[in-house]
Amino acid sequence: MIDLSVKLGALELKNPILLASGVWDIPYAKLIDFSKMGGVICKGVSLNPKEGNPPPRITETPCGVINSIGLENNGYENFESKVLPEIKSLGTQVFVNVFGESIEEFKVIASKINNVAGLELNISCPNVNKGGENFGKDPKTVFSITKAVCDVTDLPVIVKLSPSAPSIEQTAEAAKEGGATAVTVANTFSGLVIDIEKRGPLFERITGGLSGPAIKPLALYNVYKIKNSVDIPIIGSGGIANYKDVLEYLIIGATAVQLGSIIFNNPLAPIEILDNLSYWLEKNECENLRDLNKK
Amino acid sequence: MIGFNTLDPYLPRPFSFLELDKETFSILVKIKGGGTELLSKVREGDELKVLGPLGKAFCPPEEGVLIAGGIGIAPVYYQSKYMKRGILFYGCKSKKDLVLIREFKKKGFVLRLITEDEGGFVTELVKKHTDELNDKQIFICGPIEMIKNVKNVLNKKQIENAYVYMEKRMGCGLGGCKSCAVKVTEGYKLICTEGPIFPLKEVKFD
Repeated sequence: MIDLSVKLGALELKNPILLASGVWDIPYAKLIDFSKMGGVICKGVSLNPKEGNPPPRITETPCGVINSIGLENNGYENFESKVLPEIKSLGTQVFVNVFGESIEEFKVIASKINNVAGLELNISCPNVNKGGENFGKDPKTVFSITKAVCDVTDLPVIVKLSPSAPSIEQTAEAAKEGGATAVTVANTFSGLVIDIEKRGPLFERITGGLSGPAIKPLALYNVYKIKNSVDIPIIGSGGIANYKDVLEYLIIGATAVQLGSIIFNNPLAPIEILDNLSYWLEKNECENLRDLNKK
Repeated sequence: MIGFNTLDPYLPRPFSFLELDKETFSILVKIKGGGTELLSKVREGDELKVLGPLGKAFCPPEEGVLIAGGIGIAPVYYQSKYMKRGILFYGCKSKKDLVLIREFKKKGFVLRLITEDEGGFVTELVKKHTDELNDKQIFICGPIEMIKNVKNVLNKKQIENAYVYMEKRMGCGLGGCKSCAVKVTEGYKLICTEGPIFPLKEVKFD
């Protein structure tokens, strides 16, 4: 039996495979045994309901997908009373992805949440007018939000960084200084899709967030940059489609990873990846993930 | 949802059933882009990923009116299997595109057919026969422009008992990603979990 456990600060996960925010919901429990996952990150929750962006909200690009969802959610009250109890019953570590349009909103939501594995701060959504990547591009704001949240919660705080930041090393450092336990590297990349029939951008908000295998080399490079300059656990995220991609992230320095849009392509991917990862490690005489870097 | 064993195309495609029994199902595919092109080349023994059935079930009336444009014939055909009788308004670009006519005839449906190259749009056909729509449940599936035009015709006659099959690119199909939103009277609804059928008067098309 391979020991797949990893540690984010003091928090131990049974394996490094997490499901990213915004790609799954409870009905996936029919397809995925969530209790086998290292953890799940809930769909971003804001204090008040957000209705999301006008359709179209998604389209396909070569080996990828670009979205302009706009953080549709029913607000914190509904999340706490209806959604969270169900997610907690899935038998895995639960991280709550928190979205605020102001530092105050982050603080208010963060102070209400307890009895979960941790929080993930969404300062990097590219599809909203207020907050999101507007916050995540600026190291000072990243520091202020992270610190404000860490001051009101005892939970581990993960900061989901924006790949649009002029220097992702600086925003990672700011998250660390603010008290973050780990950083997620990273959110989707801003991108543009043109509708030639419409003679203009496909999305009403012009840009969307690109994810999927198309961005994997870009996301890996960001992990590499942070690994070499900031001492903080990294959760790699971007374009993972199979166990080899997971290994790439772990080898370059991520402690854990998030699976995102691949579960659209293959809803069974999380379990397949986990099984194949164990199999590969065993075949390559690794007893645990630390052995990966012995060679 | 029908998914591919490739990363390009990346997303699975939502399809309605054309036929379904305990062990098999069929779909109707019109080649439009990379995904449907690939699907058209699938041969016996090839593997695809299938997730479904998805969406909200509904109970079709014994008798009703079906209005279809182009490939929109597929879900109304499946629905017709659960109906005793009805009228089908059906329009396509040209005669060769009109499919499943024999099957509808066999079922005893009254057929109102039209093609763009020999007469015009299905909306004109509906306009001509609005008396046949009174007191019946109406189900519409087709291009957005067609649905909008039919809605205008029905509104003018104050016919309200109409439903529409909506279609959009989807991500997960299970309500997780919120991609397939449709604008309705109050905010948005998801086709994958709250659709694909919506009351016509509820959907906002602009």
